[in-house]
Amino acid sequence: MICSIKNPAERRYVIRMWISAALCVLFSLVAALVFRLSHPHGVLAYLVAVLPALPIMGALVYTGVYLAEEKDEFQRNLLVQSLLGGTGGILAVITAWSYMEDFARAPHMGLVWVYPLFWVFAGISYGVVRWRYR
Amino acid sequence: MKNRLRVLRAEREWSQADLAQRLEVSRQSVNAIETGKFDPSLPLAFKLARLFETTIEAIFTDEN
Repeated sequence: MICSIKNPAERRYVIRMWISAALCVLFSLVAALVFRLSHPHGVLAYLVAVLPALPIMGALVYTGVYLAEEKDEFQRNLLVQSLLGGTGGILAVITAWSYMEDFARAPHMGLVWVYPLFWVFAGISYGVVRWRYR
Repeated sequence: MKNRLRVLRAEREWSQADLAQRLEVSRQSVNAIETGKFDPSLPLAFKLARLFETTIEAIFTDEN
């Protein structure tokens, strides 16, 4: 699949995102294992707990790097519009849900859902933007 | 913005993919520009003008 991508910047982006996803899974397992076996506390607990978030931050940086490396301005435009859609979508959902939690006692939604939901909205947005330019 | 890309391309018997390759952009980009849905930046407009050996004004027309 990756070999079929002709655009070098896009190929590098896909490879970096796969590495980030793999590291996120690995670091989540490591953090879960450390907490199960040694019950760290204090600063060490925070450091271990933040491990899975590091590849996620890396993925966001890689997205910015892709935007800088991509020479095709139309493709850059598609991604920027999709990211704006993703940002707007997740902000709308989080805001609406927090009010539902406060006033209607809706179940608590963990912040861990913010990142995957952002990409869900960005993906939907990408489809819509591509459809507009079809 | 209206443009004469389709005509200029047809004169040279280039497909959208051929033009995309010469411009080093995706075929989707050429299609979006050609159909007037996406306005290219000034550098890309100059690149198009150089490729077709003409001026930017001869390719693109301001609808206003």
